[in-house]
Amino acid sequence: MTRTEILNELKKVFAPYTTNKEMLAGINDQTDLIKDLKINSANLVDIIIDAEAKYDIEIDYDSADKIINVGTCIDVIMEKLNQNK
Amino acid sequence: MISTGNDIISLNAINITRTKQEKFYSKILSPTEKELYSQAEFAAIPFENFVWLLWSIKESAYKYLKRINPGLVFIPIKFSVKKLLIPHGYALTNFEATQLEGTGFNNIPALKGIITIGADTLYSNSLIYRELIVSVVNDNENFENVCWGIKLIERADPEYQSTEARKFLAERLQGFLHFYEFVISKNAVGIPTVLKEDGELPVAVSLSHHEGLVAYSFQ
Repeated sequence: MTRTEILNELKKVFAPYTTNKEMLAGINDQTDLIKDLKINSANLVDIIIDAEAKYDIEIDYDSADKIINVGTCIDVIMEKLNQNK
Repeated sequence: MISTGNDIISLNAINITRTKQEKFYSKILSPTEKELYSQAEFAAIPFENFVWLLWSIKESAYKYLKRINPGLVFIPIKFSVKKLLIPHGYALTNFEATQLEGTGFNNIPALKGIITIGADTLYSNSLIYRELIVSVVNDNENFENVCWGIKLIERADPEYQSTEARKFLAERLQGFLHFYEFVISKNAVGIPTVLKEDGELPVAVSLSHHEGLVAYSFQ
């Protein structure tokens, strides 16, 4: 699975938690989940759980620590997918 | 360094089913923290509200420490609520007002907590109503210089929430800083600050919003 494929799928994961649909459509590695997408911090656990279910991975808290923007979110998902191989 | 941290949760906006799932709450609560819920007095509070109570305490602690350590990242499970005391005979009530403000928590039935992260120990006061939870954190048990407020707002879009939260805080600050022209801004790492013409004022402020609610704390 490529970074671009994961990025496109993440748009669906983030969609229920952001009202900034224009920004969501154009997300890139630098897009900040809280500052740019205006996702409430209370929804970050939802996003982690949704990503875990979507990719059949487990995101431990040390990995969750790294999730700040879309790029680091993709890094963590790719790392976990590679561990599952 | 003076700091403050607060958080507000709209209980009408939480996903109750998901919150009760172990997969969800175990990312917020440690097994030891879950045991705090077995105190008899917590029978008045649904488990999903308890989960979000601990979230709000931890997020408030995070905001308190982020001002001091801007590189800090919020991972709820790393913040440990060691004690949580609920007032004897506690009963859950409706939030009847459109706004509520106070200084300290001496005359109000607040839940008092102790939180640790690494070498830091912090103290919390939380209010729970059927509609909301609000928490405020300080670095000692004395909250007599800590001002706080909760307000219902009409809409939940992020820009409106942000504007209303700042306006609400500014109205209260005006009573203390009336001799200054000031604005509430955010610094490079997103910490709210109070600025006058020639620099930052020595007041620590914290803002939060969730759905149709905004809140502040400062000292």
